[in-house]
Amino acid sequence: MTWALTRKLLRDIRIAWVVVAVLLFLFQILWARITMRVTTQIFAALGQFGVTRQAVMRILFNQGEPGQSPEMLGQMVQAIIGGENIAIDKAGDLMSVSYVHPLVLSILCIWAIGRAANAIAGEIDRGTMELLLAQPIRRTQVVLAHLLVDAIVFPTICAVMWFGTYCGTWWMGLQAAEGNQHVDPWRFVPALLCVSMLLLSVSGVTMAISALGRSRARVWGWAVTLFLGMFLVNVFGQIWPEALDWLRPFTLHYHYQPQNLIKADRWYASGAVWFHLVVLALYGFGGYLTAWITFCRRDRPAPL
Amino acid sequence: MLLRTEQLTKHYGPITALDRLDLEIVPGEIVGILGPNGSGKSTALRLMLGFLRPSAGRASINGHDCWDDSVNARTHVSYLPGELRLYENMTGRQLIEFLSRLRQYALDERMPQLARTFDIDIDRPLAQMSSGMKRKIALMQVLLPQTPLVILDEPTNTLDPSMRDQLLDQLRASAQRGQAVLFSSHVLTEVEHVCDRVAILQCGRLVHWQDMRALRSVRRVDVQLSRAIDGLAAPAFVKALQVNGLNMQFEHTGPLPELLRWLAELPIAELNIEPMGLANIYQHYHRMNGTTP
Repeated sequence: MTWALTRKLLRDIRIAWVVVAVLLFLFQILWARITMRVTTQIFAALGQFGVTRQAVMRILFNQGEPGQSPEMLGQMVQAIIGGENIAIDKAGDLMSVSYVHPLVLSILCIWAIGRAANAIAGEIDRGTMELLLAQPIRRTQVVLAHLLVDAIVFPTICAVMWFGTYCGTWWMGLQAAEGNQHVDPWRFVPALLCVSMLLLSVSGVTMAISALGRSRARVWGWAVTLFLGMFLVNVFGQIWPEALDWLRPFTLHYHYQPQNLIKADRWYASGAVWFHLVVLALYGFGGYLTAWITFCRRDRPAPL
Repeated sequence: MLLRTEQLTKHYGPITALDRLDLEIVPGEIVGILGPNGSGKSTALRLMLGFLRPSAGRASINGHDCWDDSVNARTHVSYLPGELRLYENMTGRQLIEFLSRLRQYALDERMPQLARTFDIDIDRPLAQMSSGMKRKIALMQVLLPQTPLVILDEPTNTLDPSMRDQLLDQLRASAQRGQAVLFSSHVLTEVEHVCDRVAILQCGRLVHWQDMRALRSVRRVDVQLSRAIDGLAAPAFVKALQVNGLNMQFEHTGPLPELLRWLAELPIAELNIEPMGLANIYQHYHRMNGTTP
């Protein structure tokens, strides 16, 4: 019974699912091209004007002598491209930015919010929840079916995203390159754990909001406000750490650190990596648990 | 007892949508719920389906509590919502098949038969169907599982007259098979034609139970006299006599010849005899402003 509902839900989202997967795939291809251009042609072009890689790094990342480079710019760049040890003259490091790029985060969040907002509030909003719950099906099964959909969809989105990384780095010759230009796409596989946990966390929290609501648009509004607020708190917390750094651990984006999994050889031995993954998972499963409790106890209102 | 509600009550904050409803339905019975908008009809049906948690009292279907044991209760019920919304990205066939999988029953040759009866192309996308056609698809998914209880919330909305007759025939056939049917409606004539019993709700309260067989045996007689009669002596079979000048109205139950013999003795200018009908009873409870008499 749950599987019949899961299949129907997968059928409902199939077009959006393909669109999101294709967008993420194409972005990885695009970013591989940007990586190739930056690490080879742009640095070479800057060198012709006497600008060394070290100078670029110092300006962008505040890696020069203390007090000599613009601190704010370094912090802002780090906030935007993520990670504290990114060296953009290394193709692997620059490629890892594609996993924290605001556009990728937006696509992932829009997908997760949209699907979860549709799950309960959307179904009530459209009036089809009445038809569904008139059948002998438990409300628990409805929530479980949505969790199953996430369990099927997230790995496929992650797989397509990684395949984009693989294809892009192969196409741009980064896999075959030597030294700083070399990119090993297999090092990006562990980062998918982080991506899927981010998706789960956004989906879970939105599902909890959705289980409380009856209007898809309102759930969208609340969820976007919440996650955008978290994103901004995380960014501003990096730019003004003295004022806002304490708030960052409460944001999902703070715990989304795929670059730590890409760059570290033995990432699995790091307690911090697991801590961040567990926090994201707790957000996700906690959201689903809240959604389940709320949905099972609430009245099912008439359609709007 | 197939369906039983005991003191079933639902409050929305300070508003009482349903107030201590007691209702019992046995297999093979067709019961109508009548009432104006906001009288609690849909709330009662939604409580029976476990959509709403009762504020007090309980409802049970085949002994299964409609809230605590909702899934087992709903196994015995198929439901047609009043505000019909279907999955527009499916065809009629896909929707019926999907719901049959959820209900875990096998579709048989009755599906094409019913589609022919309702004159509907079930392979057409629901998004391309009119509201009447969608309602036919929804009615198919209600009638196909042959559950012991069928609950319909204003089922004839958007149906054309011939289709409405088809539906009422289907409901009669369901009752003959032993299914119980409970439906709410605003249309008195269809309730009159098909129901065995009718509950009239007003402001969330059950104000009247009407046995339709008893009602059908009552005639309403309207007489216009050609001249006034002094000391009119009405026989015992004349009930609720009202005389207003030359106009006389009363109710009659029993053999027609005795009535006609008595009327033949009167100076009648015009005579109208008609079945009592629900309209009079309904209007009695819902006068112009809908207040309790």
